[in-house]
Formats: sequence, C-alpha cells, structure tokens
Amino acid sequence: MGDRETGVVTLKVNGKEITVREGTLILDAAREAGCHIPTFCYQATLSGVGSCRMCLVEIEGQRKLQPSCVTPVMSGMEVKTESESVISARQAMLEFLLSNHALDCPVCDKGGECELQNMVYTYGPRKGRYAEVKIRHHEKDYVLSPVIVKNSNRCVQCMRCVRVCGEVVGRGVLGAIGRGAHQEETSFLRSYLDCDHDGMCIEVCPVGCFMRRPYRYRARPWDLRGSRTVCPYCATGCRMTIEERDGEVVRSIAREGEGFNDKMLCARGRFGYDILNSGGEERLTTPLIKKNGMFEPVSWEKALSIIREQFTKADPRRLGGIASAALTNEELYLFQRLVREVLGSGNIDSTSRWDAATTGAFIFATGITGGGVSIYDCMEAETVFVVGGQVSEENPVTDYIIRYVSDSSRKSVLVASTRAMKLDTSAELSLRHLPGRLGALFNGLVLTLYEDNQERLEGIKEIGVLKGRTVTDLAAECGVSEADLRALCARLESSGSISMVVGTDLLRFREGISGLRLLGDALRALGKVLKILPVLDRCNQRGAWDMGVHPLFGPDYRKVERAGLGCDGMLDQAMDGAMDALYVVGEDVVNMYPDRTFAEEALSRVGFLVVQDVSLTDTARMAHLVLPGAYPGEKEGTFTNQEGRVQHISRLLEPPGQARVDLEIIEAVGSSIVHGFSDGTPQTVFDEIRREVSMYRDAAFSGGSPDGWLVKKSARRLEGFELIEEKKVSLDADPEHPYFLVTGNHIFLSGSLSRRSGILNELVREAVVEISEEAAGELGVIDGQTVSVSGRGFDATYSVRIRKGTPREVVFIAENFEDKAANRFYKRGDVVPRVKITA
Amino acid sequence: MLSEKVKEEIRGLFKKYRTKRSACMAAMQAVQREVGHLTEEDMREVAEMLGINPVRVHEVGAFYTMYNVQRPVGRYHIQVCTNLSCSLLGAEHIVNVIERRLGIKVGQTTPDNKFTLSTVQCLGSCGTAPMMQINDDYHEDLTEERVVEILDGLE
Ligand code: SF4
Ligand code: SF4
Ligand code: SF4
Ligand code: FES
Ligand code: FES
Repeated sequence: MGDRETGVVTLKVNGKEITVREGTLILDAAREAGCHIPTFCYQATLSGVGSCRMCLVEIEGQRKLQPSCVTPVMSGMEVKTESESVISARQAMLEFLLSNHALDCPVCDKGGECELQNMVYTYGPRKGRYAEVKIRHHEKDYVLSPVIVKNSNRCVQCMRCVRVCGEVVGRGVLGAIGRGAHQEETSFLRSYLDCDHDGMCIEVCPVGCFMRRPYRYRARPWDLRGSRTVCPYCATGCRMTIEERDGEVVRSIAREGEGFNDKMLCARGRFGYDILNSGGEERLTTPLIKKNGMFEPVSWEKALSIIREQFTKADPRRLGGIASAALTNEELYLFQRLVREVLGSGNIDSTSRWDAATTGAFIFATGITGGGVSIYDCMEAETVFVVGGQVSEENPVTDYIIRYVSDSSRKSVLVASTRAMKLDTSAELSLRHLPGRLGALFNGLVLTLYEDNQERLEGIKEIGVLKGRTVTDLAAECGVSEADLRALCARLESSGSISMVVGTDLLRFREGISGLRLLGDALRALGKVLKILPVLDRCNQRGAWDMGVHPLFGPDYRKVERAGLGCDGMLDQAMDGAMDALYVVGEDVVNMYPDRTFAEEALSRVGFLVVQDVSLTDTARMAHLVLPGAYPGEKEGTFTNQEGRVQHISRLLEPPGQARVDLEIIEAVGSSIVHGFSDGTPQTVFDEIRREVSMYRDAAFSGGSPDGWLVKKSARRLEGFELIEEKKVSLDADPEHPYFLVTGNHIFLSGSLSRRSGILNELVREAVVEISEEAAGELGVIDGQTVSVSGRGFDATYSVRIRKGTPREVVFIAENFEDKAANRFYKRGDVVPRVKITA
Repeated sequence: MLSEKVKEEIRGLFKKYRTKRSACMAAMQAVQREVGHLTEEDMREVAEMLGINPVRVHEVGAFYTMYNVQRPVGRYHIQVCTNLSCSLLGAEHIVNVIERRLGIKVGQTTPDNKFTLSTVQCLGSCGTAPMMQINDDYHEDLTEERVVEILDGLE
C-alpha cells in the first residue's frame, strides 16, 4: 500500500490532504488535520477498546461508519468527520447514553466540566425518545475509599477507570460487573478499596461516577481559581494545578496536555494539597525566639538583627547551612550564595540523610552533570533496568510511566530490588537482592559481560578490581541465584539500547556506585546506547545539586577550592562544641538523620541554631530562633525534577500571618549582613542562575512548553568527582536480631511535608512495618496485627503489612513516622540495622 | 473454603495455560461443579490462586450466565434459552410448562432444593430450537411432552 518504504501514509480528512506516520489512528490523523472528533472511551495512554462509538467517521467506500479511535489510517483513505450520517450517529449514541443516565447534573460534582454534558451540548439531540424506566444501580452514592465516592447511575461505560487502574496504576482492583446496560464499573462487590488511592479512576472518568471525596459538594469549576504548580512530594515532579475557593485549596488536578505527566498523579500529589490549608496551630505564622526554653513571638526586625549579630560574630569555619531539597532553585541558589559569599563558609548541604562524598559520586555515576534525560526517551530503549529503589512506592508516577509504556510497546523491563514491588508484574525478570549488596550485583553483571567479551572490555582497567572474583561468589554475595544473574546479564547483552532507572538505595546504603559506573562503562564499551534516569525522592533534589548546595561543589558543579562540611561533618563538629551557628531551612534533621539520638545531641550543642520551616518540626523545636517559611503553593519559582526538567511554579495563596516566602527570608538575612545582597525576586535570581549555571543557560523561567525544559550538558569540564571508597556493608548474622531493616518513603507519604496532610494521614492511620510472607509465617502474625519491632537501642509497635515476594529476612519501615521514626533504629554508621520482631 | 480437591484441580489447570490468570474460567467452573455456585469467599480464593484481584473473577462470573455468582442453585439447574430462534419456536411455552410442573417461577428454586429455573440468552443451538440446558447437558427440539419426560426422569 503505497508509501511502505517511507513509513508514511497520505490520506484525506474532510477533503484536506495530510501525511502521517503509518499506523496512526484516524482519530489522531484527523486531530492533526485540525478536525475535532468527540470521544469517550479513547484515552491516549490506554489500550483502545472502541466501545463508546462517539468517534465514528465515514470512510469513502465503506458502507458502515468506523470507530476512528481504533482504526489505523490507510493510504488514499478519504475520511469524513462531519458528514450527515456521522452527525446523526453521534446524536444517536448520545441519546442512547442518556437513556440510562441519571441526569442529575444539578447535584453532580462534575457539572460544568463533564464530558457528557459538554458533548450533549455540542452534538447532542435536544430530546430523548426513551420512555422506559431507567436502570439504577443503587440509590445512594457509595464510598469506595477515604478519597473516592462513587455514583454508577451516571456511567457511560467507557471503561477508562478499569483500564487506567490496571494498565497505568497496575492495581487492577476495578472491574466491569454485568453486561450491557446493567454493567457497573466498581470494586469487588463494591467493597471498600485497599488500593493506591491515587484517584486516577477519578481523573479519567468523563462523568461524575468516580468523585473526589474531600472535594464533594465543595465547589463548581467556575468558582475555582487555580494556579499551575509542581507536586512537592517526590522528584518525579508531576505538573498539577491547585485550585482554591474562598482562600481554601479544594483540589489538585492534572490535566491532559498540561505537563509531561498528563492526567497522572499519585495519592500524594492528588490529595496532599490540604497542607496548604493546615493553618491553625500547626502553621508557623510569626518568627519565634526561645527564652528560658519557651518560644515567644518576635518581630522580623528583631529576628534579623539577632541573626546578623550571631552570624557575623561566628567563625566562618564554625558556621554552616542546610537547605531542604524541597525549596525552589532560586531559593537554593541564593542560599548557597548567602552561605558562601556572605557568611564565608563552605559548610553547606541539601540533605541530612546522605553523606556528601557519596552524593558526589552518585551524581557523576548517574550522569546528572551530562544534562537532562526525559523519561519518555528512556522508555524508547529496548530494555529498561530498574534498580536501587522502590520506584512503585517512592515515585509512583515514574512507575506508571514505566508500566504503561512498557506494557503497550512490549519492552522488556528488568527489576532488581530488595523488596517486592508493584512493577514486578510488568517485568520480564525480577530479582531480589540483599540490602547493601548492589555493588556485588553490578560487579557480578560486569564480570559476566567480561567473560563473554574479554577483548572488547580489556580497555577498562577498573575491571581489574574483580580479579580473583567469580560470578558464582558475587551472586552468592548479593543473595541472587547465579542463573538469575546470568539471565539478567543476557538480557542486557542482547539489547542494543538500555535505560537504567536508578534509585536512592545507592545513597542510603553508600555502596554500589563504583559498580554502577563500571557497569555503565562496560555496557558502553560493548556499543550499547545507555541512558540513566536517577530516581530521587525530594522534589528539587536535582535542582539543589545543580545550584551547588553541596559541600564539594558550587553552582554548575564547579569544584570548590576548599571542600566544606556536609551535614554529617557539621553535626560531628557540633558534637565537639565547634559549631557557632547553623542555619537550617526546611529540613527536619532530627527526623531524617540516620541516628536520631546523635542528631539531637549534636544540634543541642550548636551555639546558635536558626530553623526556617512551615511548622514546628522536631528540629525547629531545638532552635534558638524559628522563622516562618512558606509552602510551594505560596511561592513562585522553579523546580528541577529527576529528569532534569525545569518547571515553573506559580503562587496561589499568600503565606499566612507574618510567614514569608523563603526566598524573601534568605534575601533579607543576606541583606541584613551585606547591603544589596540581592533584590530577591524569583525572576531576577533565575536570570542570575542562567548566567552562572551553564546547564540552565537557555532555560526559560516561565511560559514555554507545558512539558518544561530539560537542562543542558554543562559547558565546563567537570572535575572532582572521585570515586569514593566503599565499605562493604556488614550483614553478619545476629541471632538476637534476625531481620534486616530497610527504610524509604511510604507510598502515601514523603518527607515531613506530607505528614501534615490530613487526607494523606487518613490513608495511613498508623505506622506500619512491612514483612515477608515467610516472616509472617514464622512469627505467626497476620495482616494488620500489632507487633513490636526492636533494634539495638529502640523499640516500638507497628501494624503488620505482609508483602508477598519480599525475601524472608527483609523488613521495611517508612521514614515518615515521627513518633516511631525509623531513624531511631540507626546507630551512627549503621547502614542496615538489625531488628527483632515479636508478636 | 475451596476443598483440597478443587485446589488441586485448579493447580493442574495452570499447566494448560501460558499465564495463571488465563485459567480463570476453567477454575471457576471447577469450583462451581463442586458446590453449584460461587460465593464471595470462593471468588477471593480463586483470585488468590490466580494472583489477580477478586474483581477480575467477579467480572467473568457476572458476564457469563453459566456462572452462578452468589446465587445458590438446586441440584439441577435448568437454563432455558429465550433468545430469538428459541422464542420463535415456543420457548415461552416451554418456560410456562416448567414453571407449572415445578411450581416455581423463573429465578426460583424448588423447596426441596432439587431444581432452579433460569432463562438465558442463545446457547448456540439455534438449529435445534427450542432448547434448554440442565447442568452440563443440552436438551434440544423440545416439546411439552419431552420437557415433562425429562424433568420426571431426573433423580
Ligand atoms: S485509586 Fe487508583 S488503584 Fe484505587 S481504584 Fe482508583 S485507579 Fe485503582
Ligand atoms: S465509571 Fe466513569 S470511567 Fe468508569 S466506565 Fe463509567 S463513565 Fe467510564
Ligand atoms: S509524589 Fe511524585 S509521583 Fe506522586 S504526584 Fe507527586 S511528583 Fe508525581
Ligand atoms: S472513542 Fe472511539 S469508540 Fe469510544
Ligand atoms: S436462540 Fe436459543 S440456542 Fe440460539
């Protein structure tokens, strides 16, 4: 048929000739030609079902109308989208849909933004002929989850909800029950859902069947004022719009075509918006000063003058700053200028969890300095290797994209992790390795490659470190069968292009980084096209590094002349009574540092501790002076997600009371010491970033593509990313404490911000410990039972969650529960703490 | 609770399919053969064995009339086709005859739990309409006399 060789097809749509790629759907071709075809069941990211028949078109020479959403174009086709028969078919379909529709628009939350309403308004018949009794599935709306409420009487049976839950979220807890007009899309026997509560089913439902429970009867779309922002809960960096009515944020929503994530958000992004409303007693609304152990409000002028006095009298080597990776690029950039230029100190960090040398090595090994890599480009590879983290829970939308793209294009996905994860079901091969043994895994892969390709890999001298090792003993070391390790390697070897999706386990366990680098070198030497996507948890972690909030390098990864101290080093120095002042912005060191007792002790010895945050965190409680900052929805700026995508966030609300935007505070602190430090508007700071950080040289502050803007490769030669010496993580047997404790982010929580969301906390009512099926058997416990977990020095009770497929000896506690903080199980230097569980 | 025997049978089915979930229909049939219908618990257990959510099992059960989801039936489940061909050749009369003979209406079960009467859509036996299915057997070219004879002949 015509253009075989070229792979393109020429056809006519409403008389207009267009040329599109072979295999394009008529629907997409028509849209390209500027002809709009209405649809219900079609959704670009979902499999085609062609069930609603709204998209029927006439094709010259074919007697029957054809559904354009499942029919590919053919050369020479003449398609009509507005012929008489098409128009009448559309009307008939709508009349048919309405025949059993509840028509209760006045009380339906979807009214005003309902696809059915809009469709009937545009194309519909003005009258229905159906006079029979309508089918009603139920009388009252029913609650499906803490965040979902359901009314099936409005359903158009497009099956988007069922498909999105299975194909994108990967849960498959919704089904279509019954046939024909009696079919109802719901959960098993309409039971309360135990699912990811991401509300994807709500977002895709064209009508008012799946509804947001917290938004119920709260507003009409025309009452809302929205602003485009980026979700602050992980570095996937999903675009979303938060919307308020009368000063209260009532929902966050992701819309098709408004960001790289289209309609995708996870529970945190879709329901964690209520932190913006948590004014009340939680929210800091004025600067506070500690007097005799009690906090008292203090004016900004007074607060700033105290800071100036304390900061200027301190010895710069005994000073430092820690700024959270949840601040904007502008804030972080200005913060490092403040610490370096104004305070004259090199002690600066953006995390309290990871050690500075390790993050430096990680940045280099994952190629972050090489510029941004879109996740969709990564998904073009033949094989996608997900390793070093729990993507499905830590970065849910990253998991969705991997799942739906790989399932629909039959890519091979390989997974290696310490715990079972949702992505396993999409994986061709899924391995469980011991915690802290990624190095052995990577080295095992390298050695296997080397066995097969000695000559081609001879040039990589680092392979020398593997002399004397065997694949068998490396496999044993990481707890993987040799056959599995070899199978994984064979899959990599047979792929021409590979993308590695690499998580933060390398940082948590401080190992595997040299192995990753070696594997990368080996794969490249074998001619593979290799892309690496780092998967990070804090929303602007990559931005924080790009801005130089790191003791080893400045903005644009410029090596600093004299390395400063990271969080670890600063705490050490504080312990010795040698920290005069510390400025902490947005980071809850006490709850995040892997050894809470140590962090508390060290912070208590800091001469003058200033903490800037939105609420009185455990770290803020220890401060001498507390400054009230702002949430992302209250500020303007940019975030850079894990792909290196720079996205603009705009301001919806003003910070309450005397709370101020962090950028303004940092600017005020700087200006109080050095006159004219910065004028501190997000736009001017961003312009400065563009000049100073070559990776951002062409970035636009706002406007531009809805998909944001990927950072470029640094224009400078990079140096100073030496490999760190990795210590072998001890996994020696401890009969008293037989389980390995692994920590990370909970699927519904991330960092301390999310803990202030009432809605998210309703999804996780109690602290949970996740254990394997085997361990549950050994302990004789069932799901939901309370157990006590004890380590060397801390114990607490948790509710059990059994996870099938996790190895027997691995247990998991999220890093997000302050009252039973996982970091209490750590003694400084511990990488994999050992615990005991008792029923 | 599924019996060990049924579980064994379901495990045996896995060998016949490329994925476990493909065994869904056959597994449900195996359960139903033993107890006559499928309870909520049965669906959960089948789903667990197949590694899928129970709603998937329910979907299949609710789609095909041959599964009796949460609907206990008598020892003999009579399913009379009332689709076009059968109706044109007197299916309605056949239903009436059965209703009168057993003293129950469509959808009901006799008090002795022997018979349940249902009407169903085309069973693909239009050439021999009117017809009905009792448990796993087809009875075709029905007449009033044949129906009575068949019913009376059942233990
Ligand atoms: S919230 Fe997500 S996992 Fe739960 S039913 Fe909806 S789509 Fe499925
Ligand atoms: S509930 Fe909504 S998304 Fe699901 S089938 Fe009905 S109309 Fe479609
Ligand atoms: S938490 Fe991460 S994955 Fe979830 S919506 Fe926010 S940015 Fe996206
Ligand atoms: S959109 Fe094409 S059939 Fe529904
Ligand atoms: S119509 Fe009754 S078997 Fe087909």
